[in-house]
Amino acid sequence: MPPAADNLGNDMRKIAALLTLLPLLAGCAPQGTVEITDYWVKSSEMSTQGGMTAVYGTITNTTGDDVVLIGGSTDAAGVVEVHQMSMIGGEMKMQEIDGGLVIPAGQSVTLEPGGDHLMLMMLKTDVVAGGTIEVLFDFEGAEDIILSDVVGKPAEGGDEEYHSGEMEMDN
Amino acid sequence: MLRWMTLLTDDISRLASGEPILADPNPELAIGAARFSAYVGFGPSLFRKLGLESQMPSGFGPLPSFKVDQLQDQFSGGDVLIHIAADDPIVLSHGTRGLIRDSLPFASVRYSQSGFAHTPGMVPAGLTHRNLMGQVDGTANPKPGSEDFNEVVWIEDGPAWIQGGTQLVFRRIAMQLNTWDQLGTASKEEVIGRKLSNGAPLTGVNEEDAPDFAARHPNGLTVIPDFAHIRRASPQNVTDRMFRRPFSYEASPASDGTPDVGLLWTAYQRDMTKQFIPVQRRLDELDLLNEWTVPIGSAEFAIAGGIARGEIIAQALFS
Repeated sequence: MPPAADNLGNDMRKIAALLTLLPLLAGCAPQGTVEITDYWVKSSEMSTQGGMTAVYGTITNTTGDDVVLIGGSTDAAGVVEVHQMSMIGGEMKMQEIDGGLVIPAGQSVTLEPGGDHLMLMMLKTDVVAGGTIEVLFDFEGAEDIILSDVVGKPAEGGDEEYHSGEMEMDN
Repeated sequence: MLRWMTLLTDDISRLASGEPILADPNPELAIGAARFSAYVGFGPSLFRKLGLESQMPSGFGPLPSFKVDQLQDQFSGGDVLIHIAADDPIVLSHGTRGLIRDSLPFASVRYSQSGFAHTPGMVPAGLTHRNLMGQVDGTANPKPGSEDFNEVVWIEDGPAWIQGGTQLVFRRIAMQLNTWDQLGTASKEEVIGRKLSNGAPLTGVNEEDAPDFAARHPNGLTVIPDFAHIRRASPQNVTDRMFRRPFSYEASPASDGTPDVGLLWTAYQRDMTKQFIPVQRRLDELDLLNEWTVPIGSAEFAIAGGIARGEIIAQALFS
């Protein structure tokens, strides 16, 4: 049973949470590391064999230097690329990020639907809800990270390209 | 089923901590835990569909029909139950949406029944839920955490997955408030056998006082009448008790103003055949309260034992 709600209200608790966040992160990783948390892979009608999907999560860089996510690999897909969504000619389009995704020193970057993501294409297996796949994140400036339990989450929205026939892929 | 339970386990764990679930499209709505809680239960029809009848706990199965029942399909049955609760309606709605979203690859929604209890702090500590007939409801429950509660509620033997679990009986009970409201206070109190003011038995002073069923008025009539709800519902032996957790519901009133209100009545027990069913049979035979209360929904679910971090709900059942 979770603890009783704080009667001071949610705003107060949010402030308290923010105040404690930085020391916690610093405390976990005194030398500085790159960590990926809250990661998942999208399970949808497109994430079947031969189709595509994307991996999301939060990458936190507590080292003193910028690191760059330049790609990845997984047994589940033939092609893995780092993509961003951006407004091009008045339309949201996704494209590969030139030179990879920079995670600045001391900062976090969140991969999320409608934003940056690790794109999996030419899927070799179905990515199903509640199932897991193993994904390697390839960094420049830091050790690669292998996540063995990236869970498939049913999700809609955010990625217009999954459902639109007019989508353009500027690889 | 195991993949579904994997998602629900992680979701419930995060929501109970006030965190957004993975892939939450509205993480800003995770504004706090608000005592969020949820558990998952499995109906007899699920065990049948999956050929898992041998995994059902002792005494568990479809309820017999009772003559008071006027059950409607739209409020009854179901393969899998997710019972979700929170102290804040926004937190509850957001959490419910997430659990439904993560269930859709595996199931469709048969029904969703919303209920409510008091806002925390609204009733004095120690006073139980006051239902929409005005009665103090849920008195004489075993105290959570007590040895008594453990013996009434938690299952100790049987298939591994159900040890530490329980059996839920759910009843949607409609209240006939228009006719109930025509009774005077004294009549209402005789129907239930308790005082409306504080839930004390008619033979006592405080809610927790034990009723004296032998007490008589000077004219010879029993103080707690033969037809009174608490006389009929009171345990006749050590086994026929339950932990009741009633919520109220309110749907739109009819055009003539007739309210559509009642209880989402839930009771937890080790063995519904030994606990709920004998009590309900007595109430079915005689309980004046039946005049104003009509069961219109009914379901039963087996609830898996609790889990530690890293485990999955009902893992042993579906592995």
